Amino acid sequence: MTAAIVGIVLVSHSAELAAGAAHLAAQVSGGTVTIIAAGGTDDGDLGTSAAKVERGLSEAESGAGVVVLPDLGSAVLTVRAVLEDRSDAESVLLADAPFVEGAVAATVTAAAGGDIKAVAAAAEEARHVRKL
Amino acid sequence: MSANCEQENCEQVITLAGDLHARPAGTLAVAAGRFAAAVSVTAGSHTADAKSVLGLMGLGATSGQHVTVSAAGPDAREAVATLITILTQATKVGGLLRNQADRCTW
Repeated sequence: MTAAIVGIVLVSHSAELAAGAAHLAAQVSGGTVTIIAAGGTDDGDLGTSAAKVERGLSEAESGAGVVVLPDLGSAVLTVRAVLEDRSDAESVLLADAPFVEGAVAATVTAAAGGDIKAVAAAAEEARHVRKL
Repeated sequence: MSANCEQENCEQVITLAGDLHARPAGTLAVAAGRFAAAVSVTAGSHTADAKSVLGLMGLGATSGQHVTVSAAGPDAREAVATLITILTQATKVGGLLRNQADRCTW
């Protein structure tokens, strides 16, 4: 099967946090999903960057849509601002989920062939899964 | 040993050769997600949806523990066989390794 796989964009205030979560999610899911880390500001400080989110959405899209995970609430503002300016905003879902668990769960579901709604739902269900 | 099946319900027990860490849990969940059948993994008193990587990791399944894979649906037999194979490979020393010299520790 060569069906398109849902892409993932991880938006964090920290470039290292986004890159680390992307690395972990890729390893756990077997490396078949495009995961783009959009962390930090354009000049490398802590914060979020509309330009990085914009680029991430384009790089992650392969025809099945993109699920975006923000690390903290204020990253949502950046993502929403970017989505308002895009014509393909319906192919992007913003998931309300814990960052690391959501990234791993979303990526595994994408790797298994889940559609954009299933991938976003997997991320959001992460909130309810106990680890102890 | 093969799975016990009754119509569209199958299950098989395996003894883990290693702990169920993140990467094998991911491999299991990706494989389980491709089947139509509902698939679950039970370790001790805990049962997880095999399509949920976080649920599988939350089982805390460890080496030597008996684990049951159950499936219900049209492809239950294939689902159980596939997951048992992954559990056998992924948790044994030398299984599913890329960089580590010893068994997967995460």
